[in-house]
Amino acid sequence: MEQQLDFLVDKVVAELQKKLGEVSEQAPSPKTETGLIQLRSEPKAEPVANATAAPTPAPVVNEQPAPSKEPERTTHVPNPKYKEGLDELLSSTPARIGVWRTGVRPLTKTMLELRRDHAAAVDAVYGEVSQAVLDQFSLFTVETQYDNTENYLKRPDMGRILTEEGVRMLQERCQKKPQVQIVVSDGLSAAAVDANLKDVLPSLMDSLKSYGLTCGTPFFIKGGRVASMDHVGEILEPEVLVLLIGERPGLVTAHSMSAYMCYRPRKGMVESERTVISNIHRQGTSPVEAGAHIGTILSKMLEQKASGVKLVL
Amino acid sequence: MDEQWIQSVGIDVGTSTTKMIVSRLRLGRMSSTFSLPRYQIVERQLLYASEVHSTPLIGFDEIDADGIGAILAAEYDKAQISLSQIKSGAVIITGETASKKNAQHIVHLLAERSGDFVVATAGADLEGVLAGKGAGAEKRSQAMQGVIVNVDIGGGTANAAYFQRGRAIATVTFHVGGRLIRLSPQGVVQYVSPNIQQWLTAKGLRIPVGQEIGFAQLTEVAEQLGRSMLDYLTGKERQVSGLLVVGPHLRDAIPVDELTVSGGVGLLMSGPPVRNIADASRYGDFGPLLGYVLQQEREKGTYPVQWLDPDQTVRATVIGAGMQSTEISGSTVHIKPELLPIKNIPILKLELTEEQLADATRLRQEVASIYQLGERLFEKTTGIPFALAISGIGYCSYALLQTLSQELSEQYRATFPESQTMVVICETDMAKALGQALALRCKGAPEIICIDQVRVEYGDYIDLGEPISGTIIPVVVKTLAFDERP
Ligand code: B12
Repeated sequence: MEQQLDFLVDKVVAELQKKLGEVSEQAPSPKTETGLIQLRSEPKAEPVANATAAPTPAPVVNEQPAPSKEPERTTHVPNPKYKEGLDELLSSTPARIGVWRTGVRPLTKTMLELRRDHAAAVDAVYGEVSQAVLDQFSLFTVETQYDNTENYLKRPDMGRILTEEGVRMLQERCQKKPQVQIVVSDGLSAAAVDANLKDVLPSLMDSLKSYGLTCGTPFFIKGGRVASMDHVGEILEPEVLVLLIGERPGLVTAHSMSAYMCYRPRKGMVESERTVISNIHRQGTSPVEAGAHIGTILSKMLEQKASGVKLVL
Repeated sequence: MDEQWIQSVGIDVGTSTTKMIVSRLRLGRMSSTFSLPRYQIVERQLLYASEVHSTPLIGFDEIDADGIGAILAAEYDKAQISLSQIKSGAVIITGETASKKNAQHIVHLLAERSGDFVVATAGADLEGVLAGKGAGAEKRSQAMQGVIVNVDIGGGTANAAYFQRGRAIATVTFHVGGRLIRLSPQGVVQYVSPNIQQWLTAKGLRIPVGQEIGFAQLTEVAEQLGRSMLDYLTGKERQVSGLLVVGPHLRDAIPVDELTVSGGVGLLMSGPPVRNIADASRYGDFGPLLGYVLQQEREKGTYPVQWLDPDQTVRATVIGAGMQSTEISGSTVHIKPELLPIKNIPILKLELTEEQLADATRLRQEVASIYQLGERLFEKTTGIPFALAISGIGYCSYALLQTLSQELSEQYRATFPESQTMVVICETDMAKALGQALALRCKGAPEIICIDQVRVEYGDYIDLGEPISGTIIPVVVKTLAFDERP
């Protein structure tokens, strides 16, 4: 009996080490974004968890989540005393609650889920926005002086200035002094643009139409930071500008987008002059509803000739 | 705008008493200033509670409308409140009074005299729910496992509402009340409501009208009546006790964990002991005795439920009506302020499944059949025939939004061409986007009102108030029947 158990444990350990190895290979650990959690795996202790508390481990690692769909969160509490109450709590937050434990450690399952989400976050930072998504909305691409992702992470200032080539392209291809300028950028999550642009952007366009607002030539900035809108402002001089940009991914979602808005963007703007709607993704602020609401905010900015803390919403 | 107060009034015209309260509700912003706005009622304060007036009647079964009007005018005066300040609330005509001759007339008169956005309504289900809220049962249900039932026992009827996890899950009404048997101070029975006759017969009980009744005999009747109601409420026995039920029965027995009793009889439970006919008949009816025997039942603890003291007794319904009837819709909505307020719009429910949402043809059929139902159920009108409540949409992509708004608007215009306003209520946060998509298609014919995050059911009626600070819409959902739901 005991021998059998040992054998089983050994097999599980071997399997886990293989899988954990795969996961960490996919996820080159980021050096500059300190907000992302670093994990150390200690597979030795985990099979016990598997054998005692979680007899049927779900095949979590094998499932490659579709880019825009977050995996469903369930509780690992084996026999909850009050299941409905626990479910209510779970549905009230995307945080990792009800994860259970083995001894003082998290379950293997929980650890794997965390590592998977971590990997997705890293992928989002290092990924690229799909060309098909950009083509769908006829967005051409200009770049900032970010050079490469490693440098982008170390030098936020370089992500705020367009390349000379980029400046030239804007001057050639964009309508000057538009009422509304729409700009899209990967920012810290290319996956956010892939996942949400197709819902946010057309809804925003409809909203502009409803308010009778006109819009210039939208485009995409690769390697952009929020303040790149200041440089764009200098070149195109829009009345208001909205930048749809990928947010720094977290462990809840890697697909979250923000809309940063500004009245007459220009060099030397302070952050408090910007208005932001954040957390736009499936589980957060509804993308279509956000799109419609951005239109309302922009129209108020035009009315009040102000943005950021001066704007009365 | 970060917060705002609105004033809300509650009026309860019952079989025996009439009460009114004024409260104020604080709307607070629940979301940070950087995300989509979301407001909720975060505080409710009672500003004024009127005395308990006896309901003025003309003859035996007609409410004296002018009498009620006079009471209210005096109360508004005392409360120092003008009608124009009142933004929400409800008028409830309860119990047997509701079926009295001129109830309809009264409802309209009251609505006119009690403020711009005050809902006028009469219905035992809603009344039970509001009483349950006023008595604190709804709030209690959020803090406990299992089910709590509040029964509000007035003069003619007892309205029970079951709550679980903050939601009303069922209601039932009984012919149980203090004024069903009326007595002279000497104990001569002056009246027995015909509504309990069948039950009396089934129980083998007799009450001699016009004659003196012994204290023991009356106590027996009161005890049996109280127990029958408790039998039904706790699911112990439903055959004989079912004879007391007014309107629809509960579909299944609901296991109850906790119980509160509100209403006039609820108050009488904490009154002095009733030891003889003189004690029993002190209000000209057997109400004090009914309260007393229920209190004894509570002390004996024969029923396997936990009895709790209600937050409110006589004023539970009026407080529920004034303070708890109003909700706030999601704050990103699509409206035209000129079109509000609107009142008494019936709900038509479009419940969509994932399969229907994924298939445009099936979606079209579903919309068509729901509109056909709407055509059959509601009269043609140049106004608003119904409010379409859409549920089942998990995640709404832009593509789905387009298909949905296309089907909803095109068929609406074809089926209800005379309607000038289309009202849509979404379960999830999508009203602004859907409203905008519908409006772009309809171009004013019809106008679109689209709100969200309000839970409505088939059979409900809804009132939408004037927007506060542009986009906050006070909503009153009037639940008329639980058990008729499919
Ligand atoms: C990183 C971050 C910060 C960093 C930014 C550092 C930097 N230079 O990158 C610091 C710590 C400085 C910060 C501060 C604040 N932040 Co912040 N921040 C974030 C976070 C985690 C990610 C933002 C992101 O991914 N941006 C995209 C990348 C590409 O942009 P970036 O160009 O690299 O960086 C710019 C933006 O991040 C922007 N920014 C960051 N926060 C805020 C907040 C506001 C109101 C504005 C206008 C801009 C702004 O400033 C950066 C420099 O230009 C978000 C969370 C989220 N879900 O979005 C919260 C978030 C945007 N921040 C928020 C808030 C409230 C603030 C503060 C107002 C906090 C405070 N009370 O002081 C300040 C305002 C700072 C400012 N710039 O004026 C809120 C916004 C409210 C909301 N619920 O929508 C968020 C959503 C967090 C939250 N959930 O509460 N923030």
